[in-house]
Amino acid sequence: MLQTPVDMRLLLVDDELPARDRMRRLLAEIEDCEIVAEAGTGELAIAQCAELRPDIVLLDVRMPGLSGIEVARHIDSLEDPPAVIFTTAYDQYAVEAFETEAVGYLLKPVRKEKLAHALRHASRISPTRLAKLAESARIDHRRDQICARLGEQLKLIPVADIYYFLSDQKYITVRHRNGENLIDESLKSLAEEFAGDFVRIHRNALVAEKQISAVERCDDGHYVVRIRECGVVLEVSRRHAAELLRRIRGEA
Amino acid sequence: MSARTYDPRVPAPTLHLPDFCAARAILAVVLIVEMVAILFALARQSLQQNFWIDLASCSLFLLWLGLSCTAVLCRTRTWLQQMPVARASTIALCLLMFCVLLVSEVVYRLGQFWTFGAAGVFSMFPADHAAFVLRNLGVGFIVSSLALRYFYVSAEGKRNIEMAAQARIRALQARIRPHFLFNSMNTIAELTRSNPERAEQAVEDLADLFRASLSDAHTQIPLRDEFEIAKTHQRIEQLRLGPRLQVTWDVDTLPMRAQVPGLIVQPLLENAVYHGIEMLPAGGTVSIVGTFRDGRIEIEVRNPIPLQHNYGEREGNRMALENIGQRLALAWPGRASIETRQEGSEFFARLVFPYTETAAAHFTS
Repeated sequence: MLQTPVDMRLLLVDDELPARDRMRRLLAEIEDCEIVAEAGTGELAIAQCAELRPDIVLLDVRMPGLSGIEVARHIDSLEDPPAVIFTTAYDQYAVEAFETEAVGYLLKPVRKEKLAHALRHASRISPTRLAKLAESARIDHRRDQICARLGEQLKLIPVADIYYFLSDQKYITVRHRNGENLIDESLKSLAEEFAGDFVRIHRNALVAEKQISAVERCDDGHYVVRIRECGVVLEVSRRHAAELLRRIRGEA
Repeated sequence: MSARTYDPRVPAPTLHLPDFCAARAILAVVLIVEMVAILFALARQSLQQNFWIDLASCSLFLLWLGLSCTAVLCRTRTWLQQMPVARASTIALCLLMFCVLLVSEVVYRLGQFWTFGAAGVFSMFPADHAAFVLRNLGVGFIVSSLALRYFYVSAEGKRNIEMAAQARIRALQARIRPHFLFNSMNTIAELTRSNPERAEQAVEDLADLFRASLSDAHTQIPLRDEFEIAKTHQRIEQLRLGPRLQVTWDVDTLPMRAQVPGLIVQPLLENAVYHGIEMLPAGGTVSIVGTFRDGRIEIEVRNPIPLQHNYGEREGNRMALENIGQRLALAWPGRASIETRQEGSEFFARLVFPYTETAAAHFTS
């Protein structure tokens, strides 16, 4: 194992102050590491990650708002993302998922030796493993926000503000209250995750049900959907028309 | 019931008889006997002639019968309940039949003694010896069998509820506690260095809390103690969450001597913190409000929750609520309730139960 001459730069993320106090104290006793910032929420952690570019993020799993696993997925959209070590006091499903995916994690109260060992072996978690983690550890049943990359920054978009997702060859465009962004996810997994509130109207389009102001029938027999707040009209494929009409009528 | 198969400590089912020595049971027997007497008198279709005399003689005889059977069951109850159901039922049935035989025989002899040859009012005594005794034995057999069957079925139903409640409380302890335990341990690990005095207090609090949660699920405790447990829990969470957790207690008007099943308020506070306060970046206030009117105690726990979360549907939360509901139902069947509702980003859990100063009667049985 090669020792890097520069210190490991750490970001410490936990919503509980005593937990951060303890981790800070333990880290002070470990050589070659430096805490560049601390965050009490997932949102702050994502911003600090983009700004300070730490080498390793120590990430609490259970936090208000964004959970640790969601934060990990978001910061993974950064270019050259940091290594992640999860910390948790008790979370059966998450720990099972960490074991299955061989992801670094620490159980609180953390022992100093285990912390030092985890830091030496910390590595980046691949996107596929993160996706699997999110699926099997699903601490919150679904995300409240999704994350888009804007150059060097990360932007969180509340799911409640989203009008629709449109996919082209490679990326997905999210149209929302404050504009539109590109995200790097699959429409299929988005459709599954938000099945209750979003409805598939086309192979390439997923629309927020509450944003549908009208379903109109064109002269040639196919349907279109009108989006309430931005007035955009989207085409409904034949395959999805029946399901869409059933859901719209069921609501009424 | 699945609960039975998981628990090695469950005793084999026994014949559960009500306490026939208690005044309430005797009153019930008297009332039932009177109703049966009326039933018989009506069934004889002699409303015009001698209805009242018929009813009186029938009542007198059945009261003798009913009370002597009650006396026998009162004496033998403890003994009967120690044996397997089939044997206990057979013996109880034989005892009751013997009672019927004895009382019938005595009544017949009395009739012979008082009324030899004479008519009039004493004609209410039976004339035909064999028919009288056999008829009584027949009716007695049917009624006793029905009664024993009823006691068995109702006791079995109650036992199932009790076992389900016990299973739930164990499942609940196994489910919610670990998160709290390990987080508390982490807090204490930090405090031992930074603030040893608070660490010491936290360990003491944790010990009290676990002692309370390990006590028998059936134990009733004064309301004051239950609030004390909840406040102990609050102190530990406070160390961890700091200013994010605010708790307001407005329970001064409640009678603190009231007896309640243990751990009915503390889990509500624990849930409010776990699903509510902890999930909010800025935290919030849990308010606990007690009202006492018309002999009923109401305790409402109210807390903010993150929007878009089906709080009441969360598995851990639902289990805790169901568990409290079952233990309230055991303590005060039909007279206590737990209700929850969600209004926007606030969750309410409300307990309603009667004020009792001593443990409910069937807890002592």
